[in-house]
Amino acid sequence: MSREAYQVPSLGGGNAFSADGGATSTEGGPAVAYLCGECNARVSLKRGDQIRCKECGHRVLYKERTKRMVQFEAR
Amino acid sequence: MAPLIPSQAELDRRLIVDINPETVSNIPSTDFPGHWPGESHEWSLDKFINSFKVDFHRNEQFESSFSLVGLDASIANAFRRILMAEVPTLAIEFVFVNNNTSVIQDEVLAQRLGLIPLKGSVEGINWMRWFKRPTEDDPESGSSPSDYNTIVLRLEIECTKNPNAAPGEQDPRKLYKNAHVYAKDIVYDPVGRQMDYFTGDNAIQPVNPEILIAKLRPGQKISMEMHCIKGIGADHAKFSPVCTASYRLLPDINIQRPIIGDDAKKFAKCFPRGVIALEPVTAEEAAKKGSGYEGHDGEMKAVVRDAFNDTVSRECLRHEEFQGKVKLGRVRDHFIFNIESSGQFDSDFLFLESVKVLKLKCARWKRGLTDLMR
Amino acid sequence: MPSSVHSQDQDQSMIDAVPSEQQEQQEDVLELEDKRIVIQLPGATETAASFQFEGEGHTLGNALRYAIMKNPQVEFCGYTIPHPSETKMNLRIQTYDTTNAVEVLEKGLDTLMDLCDVVTDKFTTARDAFNASEADKMSS
Repeated sequence: MSREAYQVPSLGGGNAFSADGGATSTEGGPAVAYLCGECNARVSLKRGDQIRCKECGHRVLYKERTKRMVQFEAR
Repeated sequence: MAPLIPSQAELDRRLIVDINPETVSNIPSTDFPGHWPGESHEWSLDKFINSFKVDFHRNEQFESSFSLVGLDASIANAFRRILMAEVPTLAIEFVFVNNNTSVIQDEVLAQRLGLIPLKGSVEGINWMRWFKRPTEDDPESGSSPSDYNTIVLRLEIECTKNPNAAPGEQDPRKLYKNAHVYAKDIVYDPVGRQMDYFTGDNAIQPVNPEILIAKLRPGQKISMEMHCIKGIGADHAKFSPVCTASYRLLPDINIQRPIIGDDAKKFAKCFPRGVIALEPVTAEEAAKKGSGYEGHDGEMKAVVRDAFNDTVSRECLRHEEFQGKVKLGRVRDHFIFNIESSGQFDSDFLFLESVKVLKLKCARWKRGLTDLMR
Repeated sequence: MPSSVHSQDQDQSMIDAVPSEQQEQQEDVLELEDKRIVIQLPGATETAASFQFEGEGHTLGNALRYAIMKNPQVEFCGYTIPHPSETKMNLRIQTYDTTNAVEVLEKGLDTLMDLCDVVTDKFTTARDAFNASEADKMSS
């Protein structure tokens, strides 16, 4: 699969990435929210955006944790 | 055959498990019918009532020590095993993580939470029923969580910067708020009839509020719901109600020939302090021919003062000068129990619970036996 | 992912409603009757039989062996756990002609239960006496 062919999966409700996506997806693909590794600010990036925090310029961004509940056994 | 009555010396010999320099001997119990010709040894409740004895040495809330005298090892061992593995307690079993952005992974955090000892109204814990886990074949077979089988705890915590921190502050606990998550941060959420039992001081809470669960930095958050169920130590160690439950046999030191003078001092040093005492040889003993004390009037001799505290290190058996003068052993039917509770129940109560569990087991199997005979 | 299960169905909170009495009672019965049937192994005669106890181990095995061996009508009694990963305990009883194996087993269980009562009694008495004497020491 070529890189260009890849599409960010955009399912219905409950998708972790669709928090502020969807509406902005008209140009340049959907926005995905990241967290800055330095200042913890929310950064939403679209395809082709520079990977850089808009607040502090830090270049390490983390994906957000799933908003789903996860069940574990305490064993 | 006419009943034979063994001599007291013989009975005393049978009571002691011998401890030799490199071996043990006279180990198994022999008080069974048919073992000694002409002796009965049949089970008799009256005899047991008369011979069985309990001595308490210590009884604190979380640690107790007592002697059970007149039992067989198989019974004492059953109590000990039940204490560790079969007395039910409450522990966190299911963890539902809504959010956890701390550096500690969900599964590791869940495992840590499970090990936190919880306490609460004993009456309430007894009122609670088992939560049946679903079997592999039938995932629908488990019980559904309800007030009588599940305790709900919540942990909602977020770390923030402390605006009032002194400039240059290095300690993260002062620099941030909620930098450390402790067991006391877990809140109990009573449901239904639980409110009748677990209120005020009797609420479900960790035994030790200062257990460190996780460390956070500003912006990190933990949000989870925990379900506690009743379980037994055989299933998972977190359900064990004791830190340790153990017994040892009462040590027996038998000085067979006199140990006098410097030897006596050396002999006493072979044992923990207080086990062996030094006493002067009396004129009477010194006068007695063949006692081994002749001409030693007024010298110090070694006597056993308190064998209870002996560790049975066998040190005295290593020295040439004590050869043949001392015999070490342990009293076969004197069990010194030591029970350390992990905090959910009082330690003496735990022993009573273990006896109850053994009796319940027997009763249950007896009921099963009637099915077999039908 | 064996130990953690992503699930949406189980994420509902505990049901707050009081369960119907009937449901609760049903569960009580299940709990008591669950898997407590003694299995007699094949090859048994009146006076010599092996029994299988599901879910038991050395705890009951050894204690019961002791209680049964205390019976003079018993020729032999022993227990084994055939495989450590199966929670099963086999108990072998051979008796003299005056009785049979099932009777002896039942008597053994009775012996153990009587013993438990005595232990509870004496333990409680000794503890109460000890607690009282400690309290005396504190007050005097």
